[in-house]
Amino acid sequence: SSRLFAVIRFESIIHEFDPWFNYRSTHHLASNGFYEFLNWFDERAWYPLGRIVGGTVYPGLMVTAGLIHYVLNLLHVTVHIRDVCVFLAPVFSGLTSISTFLLTRELWNQGAGLLAACFIAIVPGYISRSVAGSFDNEGIAIFALQFTYYLWVKSVKTGSVFWTIGCCISYFYMVSAWGGYVFIINLIPLHVFVLLLMQRYSRRVYIAYSTFYIVGLVLSMQVPFVGFQPIRTSEHMAAAGVFALLQAYAFLLYLKDRLTKQEFQTLFFLGVSLAAGVVFLTVIYLTYTGEWACIHVDFFFPRHTVFYSHLGPFYAKIHIPIIASVSEHQPTTWVSFFFDLHILVCTFPAGLWFCIKNINDERVFVALYAISAVYFAGVMVRLMLTLTPVVCMLSAVAFSSVFEHYMGDDTRREKPPAEDSSDEDDKRNSGNLYDKVSLLTMLMLMLLMMFAVHCTWVTSNAYSSPSVVLASYNHDGSRNILDDFREAYYWLRQNTDEHVRVMSWWDYGYQIAGMANRTTLVDNNTWNNSHIALVGKAMSSNESAAYEIMRSLDVDYVLIIFGGVIGYSGDDINKFLWMVRIAEGEHPKDIRESDYFTPQGEFRVDKAGSPTLLNCLMYKMSYYRFGEMQETEAKLDFRTPPGFDRTRNVEIGNKDIKFKHLEEAFTSEHWLVRIYKVKHLDNRESLDHKLRSVVPKQKYTSKKVRKSYLFQ
Amino acid sequence: MNPNLLLVSCACLLVALSGVSAGGLVNEEVKRTVDLSTHLAKITTELVLSNQGHSAVQSFILSVEPDLAPHLAYIGASVKGDGEDDGLLEIQQSDIHGHSGDFYKVHLASSLAAGAQLKVKVEMTFSHVLKPFPTHITQAERQLVVFQGNHYLYSPYPTRSQTTRVRLASKTVETYTKLGNPSKNDEIIEYGPFRDVPPYSEDTMKIHYENNTPFLTIGSLTRTIEVSHWGNIAVEETIDLRHTGAVLRGAFSRYDYQRQSDSGISSIKSFKTILPASAQDVYYRDEIGNISTSHLQVLDDSVEVEVRPRFPLFGGWKTHYVIGYNLPSYEYLYTLGDQYALKMRLVDHVYDDQVIDSLTVKIILPEGARNIHMDTPYKIDRLPNQLHYTYLDTFGRPVLVVTKDNLVEHHIQDVVVHYNFNKILMLQEPLLVVGAFYILFFTVIIYVRLDFAITKDPAAEVRMKVASITEQVLTLVNKRLGLYRHMDEVVNRYKQSRDTGALNSGRKTLEADHRTLTNEISSLQARLKAEGSDLAEKVGEVQKVDSQVKELVCRSCQEAERLVAGKVKKEAYIENEKNLSSKRQEFVGRIDSLLDAL
Repeated sequence: SSRLFAVIRFESIIHEFDPWFNYRSTHHLASNGFYEFLNWFDERAWYPLGRIVGGTVYPGLMVTAGLIHYVLNLLHVTVHIRDVCVFLAPVFSGLTSISTFLLTRELWNQGAGLLAACFIAIVPGYISRSVAGSFDNEGIAIFALQFTYYLWVKSVKTGSVFWTIGCCISYFYMVSAWGGYVFIINLIPLHVFVLLLMQRYSRRVYIAYSTFYIVGLVLSMQVPFVGFQPIRTSEHMAAAGVFALLQAYAFLLYLKDRLTKQEFQTLFFLGVSLAAGVVFLTVIYLTYTGEWACIHVDFFFPRHTVFYSHLGPFYAKIHIPIIASVSEHQPTTWVSFFFDLHILVCTFPAGLWFCIKNINDERVFVALYAISAVYFAGVMVRLMLTLTPVVCMLSAVAFSSVFEHYMGDDTRREKPPAEDSSDEDDKRNSGNLYDKVSLLTMLMLMLLMMFAVHCTWVTSNAYSSPSVVLASYNHDGSRNILDDFREAYYWLRQNTDEHVRVMSWWDYGYQIAGMANRTTLVDNNTWNNSHIALVGKAMSSNESAAYEIMRSLDVDYVLIIFGGVIGYSGDDINKFLWMVRIAEGEHPKDIRESDYFTPQGEFRVDKAGSPTLLNCLMYKMSYYRFGEMQETEAKLDFRTPPGFDRTRNVEIGNKDIKFKHLEEAFTSEHWLVRIYKVKHLDNRESLDHKLRSVVPKQKYTSKKVRKSYLFQ
Repeated sequence: MNPNLLLVSCACLLVALSGVSAGGLVNEEVKRTVDLSTHLAKITTELVLSNQGHSAVQSFILSVEPDLAPHLAYIGASVKGDGEDDGLLEIQQSDIHGHSGDFYKVHLASSLAAGAQLKVKVEMTFSHVLKPFPTHITQAERQLVVFQGNHYLYSPYPTRSQTTRVRLASKTVETYTKLGNPSKNDEIIEYGPFRDVPPYSEDTMKIHYENNTPFLTIGSLTRTIEVSHWGNIAVEETIDLRHTGAVLRGAFSRYDYQRQSDSGISSIKSFKTILPASAQDVYYRDEIGNISTSHLQVLDDSVEVEVRPRFPLFGGWKTHYVIGYNLPSYEYLYTLGDQYALKMRLVDHVYDDQVIDSLTVKIILPEGARNIHMDTPYKIDRLPNQLHYTYLDTFGRPVLVVTKDNLVEHHIQDVVVHYNFNKILMLQEPLLVVGAFYILFFTVIIYVRLDFAITKDPAAEVRMKVASITEQVLTLVNKRLGLYRHMDEVVNRYKQSRDTGALNSGRKTLEADHRTLTNEISSLQARLKAEGSDLAEKVGEVQKVDSQVKELVCRSCQEAERLVAGKVKKEAYIENEKNLSSKRQEFVGRIDSLLDAL
């Protein structure tokens, strides 16, 4: 329920950036049908390239929302597709906590399961992705992830094909929902591999994994976006390798029964050396065909690059600025670990220890899950999300075993099994406070209580803002809503031609497409780095150079975000260095990052800033007419000079800004969004209409001259 | 001179002709007021009609100039008595052969006798007749508009005397036609008096002046009224709004707009919409969400919404929004038995001096409404009925759809929809829900109670049997342990009271109960064995341990007897007892652990 803060505080609206795309495609799906959606070519994005949406998107989310909408409307429950989208994530987080309960119950016991379900219901790390309105892949993917793991554990435990098929179907859903399915397809083989190493091979594992690999592979290839990747790309190779290994192992076991020891050993060595040779050759082949080098910049769907960056924290930073430019892709800090997980981050190693101490097949799995997830979460803030469920589970295990240990004794005499929910026991215990045991229990309860308080606080403060609508508080506590984004987007939607092309930095691409319904050049699906670099180049060049680029890209409007008036820090000037860097990556001759710094190596927008910066398009667009603006609005601070940037707390350096090729088209109420119109070329100065006397006898007519005849 | 003469004679002939055809009506005195202070042209004409024919007339004709006729939004005529208005007269569109323009026949309430006079007030409202000129202005410029009208009253009757007064929006006037040397005083220009104007005379009046009033036009308005018999009427209006004044040329500068008060003076920042007083749950939104810039004010007799579009509307800019609210149905829905009548405004107030280019009203009646008919206050096009499906509908709700073009404030009038509705049908929806839940629960019951397995699973059955038997064993064993505890109490009591009889009887009951319980358990154990469960052994073990416990209990009993009999010393007894009880504790613990393992 704390996920609904955002709706209550603001309204039922889609949040952030990519949810807008998801919403837009869901809308398309709901209004045009599934096949139309699969074949959708979106000419509104990536002008002039366009984007094949059906084949470049994980459709699980849209299909889920569309299906719910369809069923509800079939029953004449007239719910708008937007509301379905907004409330999808909270509904799915409910399902997540159920599947977490099931998974933890399989791993430990019912009490721990209950605790884990409680934890995952309120842990901020997961809430951040599943508040109402955050209509994103992760929202449903975590449910799919947990459920797949549950079914996998179940199938390893029972060795039944039924559970494994269930696991495959759940895996298929996960594949269709999120690029993070790669995590599953690597973790499960790893689990099998480690089981083999630990001599825990059994017929059950064999059945479960063989079925899972084959059926899961075939199913995952049904998703258009994934296609043939599972048999071609490196991140799926581990699964294939483990599959082969498992088969070989099983085969060897079979032979072992039939052969004498001597025969077996020769065969074994032969087989091993053969396998090693094959593997070696494959690696060489792959390297030469360049499969490994193929780099896709695809920030939403962790494909190759992002995948590599999972492997090493510094890979992306060095190679691809566009990935590094996203704050979600920064390495995680300790603060954010604590912020998102709070007490759980401390208790979860204890849970891990309990698991390792009483090891069995499925606990091997959860231990591996925990270790790999911790590693990935350390690499990237974004992947905190995969860590959260396992932290919840293991912390629950830790808490549950502590409670069980200390409170079991008291209750044993009264009723035989004392592993039921610990809450009841607590109450019974609160009578004799002075007992050491009770003291410890109280302490634990206090911790849990603090955890709950922290979760609510984080949810309400950090994760419940739609980021499309900003809110500020006055001195008297009343709330001001800054609705500049929607103001500007709606202006675009209503008052520009339907087919105009809007250039903006890629962050706003999805929002422009979703809210303004206009064609964009680049958007958050950053699949084409050079196109983005071109936009970056236009933004960081001077006006006439930028005009040429914009003409060649048919740009009609340019949209920028400027926070200097209200002190909004996420504006384009603060992102500007990334634009320069990305542009420099593709056009090193024209754009050099060092030009934008002062000789001292500072990035400054005031008078001391570098002249290149003060005359580039982005700067001029941001500060156009800003130099005249005197900050007087109730600030009582008359010392601030005109043109005082409140975000960077400096007076701007270039106040005399004039445009030749651009014209201010719209600026929102708090100047947050500024839209400029790109003027068409001026009419040529009229020429004298005087017949040109052409000498007809001329012998050499170059092509150019001949052309000019044609035009006469 | 000759052509002139011809013209005059022609005119005379015309006068005569029309005079004859119209029964000799003459406009004695005409006072026209042309109100151009908003973006509408409101022409009010007060005229004194006199019947100079020989017979009484029942009706007279109003006519509209051919240039203005397509823009006529509203026409209304009332007889002006001495004091109060007599209400509106019935108007019917008609035709006069040979003349262009629109003609309206006004039926008088009582006939006008020959020679009698009548005072009539005619109101006409024209939309889109003020043309911005220049058509494009920059943000700093003011908006100038041109009005083209008629100096004279366009009438099929001759006019004896006429004055025309024009009210403008501002003092700034670029040019105006100067027929008959008009006088200009601030915002008012007065023409006339003109005397003896022949019928159908036209002379272009052209005024070019500054007008910065909001030129707002509602391009299309779709009003949906959804009636529910559960006490609610939901109204939703989808509005396309456009600024139809001079189009903004060049840049829009927010800086100027914020700093200079007269920058963008013709633009529209906000306007007020007046909703009915009982309106609740008002929402104001568009495709991308709630529009956060509005304010709601609840007054005594209305609810005022200050509607502020997301952005200020400059010339040529448009916006689109939805506003909706709920009304209690008791104020608008009247009922008599099965007959219902809904009386609501066909169109409601959006802003002052509103112009609606095209209106669509959809009235959604409850499912099962029959015999629907509609009384409209003015002529309106009715489209075929539609069906609407919403929550818990089975065969759809009837939807009345009507459309009309070019509406102004005068059209805010009530429409009455009559229909029949069987009250029993009210129960349909709750029954539907009840039925659905019934089916759901019933399915669950059936699913849980019946066995749908394709194959029999003997192992599972055995397991279930064993489980039930173990359950019984558990309760029995616990009961048995309870017996021992009871026995302890008996012994304790005996120690105090020294009542051997009680002790003996307690022992006897213990023996008896114990036997029956042990027998039962052994029979259960046998059954467990029959099922092939290895639990039987454990139960056997329990039995064994239990017999030891039993022995201990008997021993402690005897010890107590001996103590009472004085055969042992107290210390020795306590020592003994402690021994026994610890042993017993141990055994019971073993039983417990065995039971746990069951």
